[in-house]
Amino acid sequence: MADLGAISLWIALALAAYSTVGSVAGKLRLSPALVESAQSAMYAAGLALMVATLSLVVSFISRDFEIAYVAAHSDLAMANKFTWVAFYAGNEGSLLYIATILSIMSAVAVWRAPEKFKDALPYTTAILMLTLTFFVAVMAVMANPFDKLPFVPLDGDGINPLLTHFGMFFHPPALMAGLIGITVPFAFAIGSLLAGKIGDEWVDAGRVWGMVSWVLLAGGLLLGSWWAYTILGWGGFWFWDPVENAAFMPWLGITAFIHSIMVQKRRGMFRMWNIVLINVAFGLALYGMFMNRGGSVPSVHSFGASQLGWIFLLFLAVGVIVPFAIFIWRYPLLKSAQNLDSMLSREAAFLVNNMLLLAIAFVTLWGTVYPLLSRLTNDEEITVARPFYDQVNGPLMLGLVFLMGVGPLIPWRKAGMASLRKSLLPPVVGGLLTVGILAALGLHKDYALIAFGLATFVTTGILMEWFRGTRSRHRNSGENYAAAFFRLIAANRPRYGGYIVHLSVVMVTLGIVGTSFFGVQKDVVLSIGESTTINDYELVYLGTVEVQKSNRTEFTSTVQVFRDGELLDTLRTKRAFYPSFNMAATAAAIRSTPVEDLYVVPSENLPDGSVGFRVLVNPLIWWMWVAGPVMVLGTVIALWPQKIRAPAPARPPRRFVPGPRPSAA
Amino acid sequence: MKLSNLLAPLVYTPYKLSLRVLLSLSLVTLLTVTSLAQVNGLHAQTPEPPEGSYSESQAQGIDRMIMCPVCPAETIDQAQVEISFQMRAVVREMLADGKERDEILDFFVERYGKDILAAPPKTGANLVAWLAPVVGFGAGLVAVFLIIRSMSRQRPALLSAQPVQDAGLIPYLQLVDRHLDLTRGGTSNQPSYSVESRGTGVPEQTEGKSEKEDKG
Repeated sequence: MADLGAISLWIALALAAYSTVGSVAGKLRLSPALVESAQSAMYAAGLALMVATLSLVVSFISRDFEIAYVAAHSDLAMANKFTWVAFYAGNEGSLLYIATILSIMSAVAVWRAPEKFKDALPYTTAILMLTLTFFVAVMAVMANPFDKLPFVPLDGDGINPLLTHFGMFFHPPALMAGLIGITVPFAFAIGSLLAGKIGDEWVDAGRVWGMVSWVLLAGGLLLGSWWAYTILGWGGFWFWDPVENAAFMPWLGITAFIHSIMVQKRRGMFRMWNIVLINVAFGLALYGMFMNRGGSVPSVHSFGASQLGWIFLLFLAVGVIVPFAIFIWRYPLLKSAQNLDSMLSREAAFLVNNMLLLAIAFVTLWGTVYPLLSRLTNDEEITVARPFYDQVNGPLMLGLVFLMGVGPLIPWRKAGMASLRKSLLPPVVGGLLTVGILAALGLHKDYALIAFGLATFVTTGILMEWFRGTRSRHRNSGENYAAAFFRLIAANRPRYGGYIVHLSVVMVTLGIVGTSFFGVQKDVVLSIGESTTINDYELVYLGTVEVQKSNRTEFTSTVQVFRDGELLDTLRTKRAFYPSFNMAATAAAIRSTPVEDLYVVPSENLPDGSVGFRVLVNPLIWWMWVAGPVMVLGTVIALWPQKIRAPAPARPPRRFVPGPRPSAA
Repeated sequence: MKLSNLLAPLVYTPYKLSLRVLLSLSLVTLLTVTSLAQVNGLHAQTPEPPEGSYSESQAQGIDRMIMCPVCPAETIDQAQVEISFQMRAVVREMLADGKERDEILDFFVERYGKDILAAPPKTGANLVAWLAPVVGFGAGLVAVFLIIRSMSRQRPALLSAQPVQDAGLIPYLQLVDRHLDLTRGGTSNQPSYSVESRGTGVPEQTEGKSEKEDKG
């Protein structure tokens, strides 16, 4: 199996390299046959990588410890379902996963590419395959998952216990797929530039693949937060560490892109800007992968630690500089088809949205880079961590939430004051009332007040749009309200899917604001029978059961929760000690309700049987986890193809331009 | 729904009914959010601590400013190692002695260096760390403003009625426009339609679809 995998890797490398060169050569020498063979080579490279993936999976299942990677990341005690996780537990397997996903996405993207883009497709193929060549080459030469040990160990080292969590089945693969997925819209954009296309042919593919990456990244980030919340044992879900930031920044970039690309799709504007945005997003994605592959130490210092880091840094530099050079070369082609009509228009709102998103990305990058700068210029060691990001990014994010409420209500082109007042009145009233009522109820944290006000503002705006559309359908076609509602969504999926995603962002906002401003936390040591209180909960510690498992000692502690003297719940927290890793993994016991979570996690088991607990009350965080599925649902609706597919138009799609009003009706 | 009655006269009369419904919708949202937030808001009101003592949340605020010296990228609030337990205890001892937040932070800076703080102090050269984002954001705002202005100052795009290719769609499109007009209240965008002859007379599909979306 090891040999089969290794051979497949080299075959994939040859095919990807050939596909890169063949596409460009075929395009330049006007040889359709060569272009076609290069395209077939791309599909074949995908197949070869799938064979390699399969070989590694089989090696894991058969616990072929002769393979160094298998020995390092599994052992005989590991349940087979964790093969999935062990596969990407280290650099080698992650690279194989990334390469396989890229090859599959490339194949689907090229296969489904619109007819009108055919002219530029060889360049797109070449860019995709160049990226694939890089990953496969790095893997084959420097981090080969099929490298053999000189001897066959009796047992492997086992899987990192922190990874044996449900969230880990989806969080890393979703993030890695999202990061590499940005290559696809990027390849379409640059391919279009290289072919000298005027501008809009790549937009549909760019939008669809941009959204695919977006939802993978968003889902990956949420799952990662959830994993941190349930297992890292400190009660929070996000702490702006460099690796988190590295995944967060490309998400910001691609969020800006999928908004801005709508303007090009609908109005033929922002052609240069969209190219810049996708370049930025791609650069940030490469940076994210570099941070992840550079080493396990979550800090910038780690890039010397692994040789891979430097190679990735080099690729990052090339991946940023070359596309910008192409952009500057093709700059004259990218003129907008339309002009911006007014500051008060959706186009303008999108620009401000882009600016805010990039500002957050900039702050995040700045926070990562500043300690280095400080050391170089000032010779002073400085840490930039959570308090900095909270203070600087917090207001920017609120601004973003505000725009999320305004943007969809402002019409394209130019907003009339009267219509603007009418569509903004209910949301503004809703938002102000929320602030007023909460303030009257005695909530005096300004930040939180503003955030709750904005949450209502956005939600009201969305509900209003839904209501208006539904009523209009109901009145004019006689559909009942439910049917009208669903058909309304079905009739304009990008728009109403987008609204659902916006609602999920409001839910995430509630979770963040609730925990950051109203969370209560307490550390206590309890011996059996002792109790503690937090808010109106009373917790009684009943005892701990110790169980020896093959690779760990598990401590299960039982805590009863009372409120007003009534038994609410019995919680069981877990703490497992893994001697071979000298590492403890905790699992918090969480009593979750939409109002607040009661969160109990054991931090230490003392010899006398008492246990150190951390107890938290995290308001509204429930909404954050529910937001995940809502977000995915919204994206799927927005991406779902409309039933009638337009045949390729002979001319650029028409715009709906209002003509002169008929003088007599 | 008294409020909606109060506000209704403020707007265009034909929309009174819809406004009422809209306002009640906004009220529903608002009530959900407020009721959810209220429960927590009441919790959050901690009484003023008596003289000489400190609140746990105050101590945690300080914990979150201090990095754990042995575990990269974690504060002593998060880290589950012995030294962070001890440092947390020190923070609480000092608070109990009546020390201020800044004094406690200085104490740790003296022992471990400036990088023990989770964020650079807002003084001296480190002000750059805090000001750069503000300056960058300001520059971004100005840039966006200038871009919008320059883009909107160019020669306005030619306004012309573009013909619809499918004559059968015209009544439908007019209907859509009427609805949009009713619901949006805009009176300015009244398009007119004309049919473009394509020789065969066979209408081409789907153009109307995309135009309908465009109005959204």
